[in-house]
Amino acid sequence: MTYSIVQALLVGLWAAFCFAGQQWGIYTNRALFISFGIGLILGDLQTAVVFGATAELAFMGFGVGPGGSTPPNPLGPGVVGTIMAISISGLKPAAALSLSYPFAILIPFVITFIFSVNANNLAWSRKAIEEGKYRRFHFLANTTLLGFIIFAFCFGFAATLSTSALKVFVQAIPQWLISGLTVAGGLLPAVGFALIMSTMVKKEYIPALILGYVCVAYLKMPVIGLAFAGAVLAFNNYYNGRRADKKDHGTNGNDDGSNENEGGIEDGI
Amino acid sequence: MASSRKPVLTKKDYLNSILRSYVLQNAQNYGTMQGTGMANSIMPQLRKIYKDDEAEFKRVTTSNLEFYNTNPQPYPFVTSIMLAMYDSGQDENDVRAIKFALMGPLAGIGDALSQFGLAPLFSSIFASLALQGMTWAPIPFILCLFGITFGVRMLMGYLGWKVGTSIIDTLSDRMAAIADVASMLGLTVIAGLSVSFVKVNLAWQYTQVIKGKTQVVAIQTILDKIMPYMLPIALTYFVYWLITKKKWTIYKIVILLFVAGVLLSVLGILK
Repeated sequence: MTYSIVQALLVGLWAAFCFAGQQWGIYTNRALFISFGIGLILGDLQTAVVFGATAELAFMGFGVGPGGSTPPNPLGPGVVGTIMAISISGLKPAAALSLSYPFAILIPFVITFIFSVNANNLAWSRKAIEEGKYRRFHFLANTTLLGFIIFAFCFGFAATLSTSALKVFVQAIPQWLISGLTVAGGLLPAVGFALIMSTMVKKEYIPALILGYVCVAYLKMPVIGLAFAGAVLAFNNYYNGRRADKKDHGTNGNDDGSNENEGGIEDGI
Repeated sequence: MASSRKPVLTKKDYLNSILRSYVLQNAQNYGTMQGTGMANSIMPQLRKIYKDDEAEFKRVTTSNLEFYNTNPQPYPFVTSIMLAMYDSGQDENDVRAIKFALMGPLAGIGDALSQFGLAPLFSSIFASLALQGMTWAPIPFILCLFGITFGVRMLMGYLGWKVGTSIIDTLSDRMAAIADVASMLGLTVIAGLSVSFVKVNLAWQYTQVIKGKTQVVAIQTILDKIMPYMLPIALTYFVYWLITKKKWTIYKIVILLFVAGVLLSVLGILK
């Protein structure tokens, strides 16, 4: 089954809008929503939405989120799987899902690529602002979005015109490169963390670094728990620091005295 | 302590900055994640605050280009607080400390809410409705998700404005100490997250024969027993060293890591 150029253009635009929504955080990058639009364009809403729902459930935990990790992306199945489900008669939704899954794995590489190419954005943006070229800055501030839109448009357009060619392309990427890029993707977040630490870390914050490590490495704490642990350390520091200040203002920083005092109060209670 | 300048931002400016939270990730990248987006999202407000001082405007804007990474839904909370603080002439280091202190907790709350709370909830409801033959189920699905998260952004932006202005009125003399608390809290979260986000796994393994049984021993398992996440920490420290001591640019480091990742994977050292 073949589709017209106009349909391919519309699918491309729809895919671009949906994928851009991932950056805006508006949930358009969910399989259920992507399938809906493609079903309307290709003229089989019923099949599209049933496939979309199947893919949606498979990708439930994925989607809008912060960067760093890039899980398999529902755009792949959302576009390719829907087209497969509609165009290949008799193909069950689950089969279309597994056939289109390679595309879910392809997308994170594209995202990684765009994020990496744009990794020097700080330097470019700083230069643009310092030189007063605000138009240029506004372009730079939308580069990733532009990359997403261009990619998703091409992806949707190409997928509509030839599903088989895209599949061949994915299979043509050598395995060593895919696993190599996966490893590199795991190393890259170190840059962001090292950057922030390079501007924040002072000697007196080292306990915070160790605490953060212990909480995650040994105690497997989720991030909210981590924040509470950090709060304990920070407030402890804050109040004890104040007490130390007071002592300094006193005649002689007499540790025993203040400790006795505290002990006394506690005993009293 | 009296504020050192008269606030110029109106409620409309804050509303505008909340709506601009949607551009936060438009320049997302591996160097600074949402850094450029953050500067972009508060740029019109900063221009208004520093409208008489172009150099100051440029300086404050570029200072906000640095690394930032949080969840975009509760993000307006940060910008509202920051803008309120800038607008009343608070110390920039304090603004920065608050900004980074909020990053981790808001990411946690935001992810819990938007990725692991709302999305799966509405996914399962409307996907099952769609499977039962309701072909227009995707429409209420997206409306619910968009509507609720839009409400979250508005509410968080409002709360941030409230907190930001009240901090200024009542606590400004203690800001330095509060910023210190915030920095410490922020760094704890950042340190913890860096451990779990950075992934370095050795592929090396060897076989040994114990009492006639062959066992495959992965070096990674041994390392984890000595000290978990040893390699991610070493890598993060290495990059930190490259940045602070060697003055490497981010781009150079990213290229290094890319080449190293592919190379070490091909050589069978990392997986």
